[in-house]
Amino acid sequence: MADTAPVSQKTPVTVLTGYLGAGKTTLLNRILSENHGQKYAVIVNEFGEIGIDNDLIVGADEEVFEMNNGCVCCTVRGDLIRILSNLLKRKGRFDAIIVETTGLADPGPVAQTFFVDEDVKAKTYLDSVTALVDAKHFDQALAADRVVKEQIAFADHIILNKTDLVDGDTLNQIEARLKGLNPLASIQRAERSGVDIQSLLNQHRFDLEKMDSVANHHDHGPDCATDCGHDHAHDHHHDHDHVHDEHCGHDHSHDHHNHDHINPIHDTEITSVSFSTNKPINGVAFTRWLDKLLAEKGQDILRAKGILNIKDEDRRLVFQAVHMILEGDLQRPWGENEPRLSRAVFIGRHLDEAALRTGFNACIEK
Amino acid sequence: MPFAFEKNYGDYIVAALFDSADEPVVAIADGRVIFPDSDVEFAAHPDAGILSAAIHPSGVGLITGGDDGRIVWTTKDAGPIEIAAHKGAWFDVLAISDASNLVAAASGKTVYLYDLVKKDAPKVLEHPSSVSGLTFDSKGRKLYASSYGGAYVWFARLAQQKPSLLKWAGSHTNIAISPDDKFLITAMQDNALHGWRLADSKDMRMGGYPAKIKSLDFFAKGKLLATSGANGAVVWPFLKANGPMGENASEIAADESSLVTVVSGASEDTILSAGLDDGRVWLAELKSTAQEWIKREKGPAISALAMSGEANRILIGDEDGSVYIYEA
Repeated sequence: MADTAPVSQKTPVTVLTGYLGAGKTTLLNRILSENHGQKYAVIVNEFGEIGIDNDLIVGADEEVFEMNNGCVCCTVRGDLIRILSNLLKRKGRFDAIIVETTGLADPGPVAQTFFVDEDVKAKTYLDSVTALVDAKHFDQALAADRVVKEQIAFADHIILNKTDLVDGDTLNQIEARLKGLNPLASIQRAERSGVDIQSLLNQHRFDLEKMDSVANHHDHGPDCATDCGHDHAHDHHHDHDHVHDEHCGHDHSHDHHNHDHINPIHDTEITSVSFSTNKPINGVAFTRWLDKLLAEKGQDILRAKGILNIKDEDRRLVFQAVHMILEGDLQRPWGENEPRLSRAVFIGRHLDEAALRTGFNACIEK
Repeated sequence: MPFAFEKNYGDYIVAALFDSADEPVVAIADGRVIFPDSDVEFAAHPDAGILSAAIHPSGVGLITGGDDGRIVWTTKDAGPIEIAAHKGAWFDVLAISDASNLVAAASGKTVYLYDLVKKDAPKVLEHPSSVSGLTFDSKGRKLYASSYGGAYVWFARLAQQKPSLLKWAGSHTNIAISPDDKFLITAMQDNALHGWRLADSKDMRMGGYPAKIKSLDFFAKGKLLATSGANGAVVWPFLKANGPMGENASEIAADESSLVTVVSGASEDTILSAGLDDGRVWLAELKSTAQEWIKREKGPAISALAMSGEANRILIGDEDGSVYIYEA
């Protein structure tokens, strides 16, 4: 049915998160006022904060609904479903939609809306969850509210903002901590929310077709994969990437079967764990394990992603999960010279690393 | 198939209705109101969009709610007249009562209730969650609002009041009342209907749908309820005192390749029409089980459908802006 429509015909949606004062309003004002060749419809929480009169700004109410389908963590944004269905009746007026969440909001229900509601799924796709992080007040925000960690953990793109207000060492340190909390997200540095507006769009972070890397620390991020030009100027993270990168993928690609747990934030609640192996995976066993894991622990698993080398299968099995919602598909064949490395990353609360490792290892073909 | 009228307006058809004189009226997402019989059009919401529409309580012309925060009455002779304006509002739900000359319009959690005769300040009815559907009872004394957690019941004429809640967990996305005021039906986010027998608030669960139910229409003197949300039109019987309780629904003209998106029945007869997500439209006489395709060509999903009071004309609108009139 309709949700098989190609991504290109669907309207991309960027979800913008970030704690109070991180720079969301500044960014939205830039998106709405600057001439960048793209027209955005923006769904905001506080009408008054955006000082621009524009008929494509819509106020929302952050109404989180529980579904009746027995999935305890299937909460969605009911107001968003209504607003999106109305906006999409006039899809010719804009190229993309941005959803701002309040600084205090858990990003889970917003993201889940794009996977749970059949109409929203048919006409839009979640392009990325982008989190703004205030470099100057990073520690205070982390200490003040656990939702800050959730926002970082949930994001697939992080804009580290206000970099002009702290020194280079501090920035490197914050970036390393962000990566520990969320190895899946790319990080972009900015002053006064000054990012290239067009680069915010068409990231395809949730598109299994476009998912080429998982927790590969040599990955320069999708910005570089598509357009290596403009982002490098304020995107220094390649330089010190190796500082904390104790498992350089290429060097270790022979007979390694490791698990990584990089978590310099030493957060006791939200952590990330990643596993990899160059031995083939038993697809049936893995699917069974993942289904069970998400059914039992899905409430605590914020995000999961993986690319797997399945025994006797030439194509890569790619999966991602948002809480209990799992998407998986066989994708393009492995490249001839591409190391057939299976990788899986879990980000969540109270992750039992030992149990996860045992579960992952049990899926490796002996 | 030859249609009596066929024209493309280039934008999503939000509503297609017949007024009390069986004159067709169409509301387009780009803010225009069209009278196809005389080929007249008005910019009811200039530089804005129409989100909802209903025939005016007088039976003449169309009331529309817009994303410009305006409620507008458009007639063929006088053009658009503004009834109300609330800056920033999105009026995506409208209901009228011809018995009491009331118009109810919802924007988010707030419902504004306008008395078209008194023309005094509207009553403002606040809800804990967004209102997804509104309907008056037949006399216009009560207003029912579907929302998260159930349906709120308001007395249309009371100045100060707290609504009562017909409670049922989940998100209710649309609402309809049986013409005899005995049963209230809501569509739910979870691909099911919920119903209440209003005399004793007894719950009815009506499930088994593969998709969301966006269109509900009581027809055949209120004895049948047609709904979208399945491969065929799903018809529930309201023939007995218990309504559909203990009865089975019938699925009319099920076709596995498509979903019914909108239904419209004859108010006095067992004639039903359905528009599909693949652009086709059928017409059926339920007693004889005769069914014919009145639009066989596939195309954009049907978004609006109406049957005239005499059941001799069918007005069709699709997501890409085409309007058709079929004449029996």
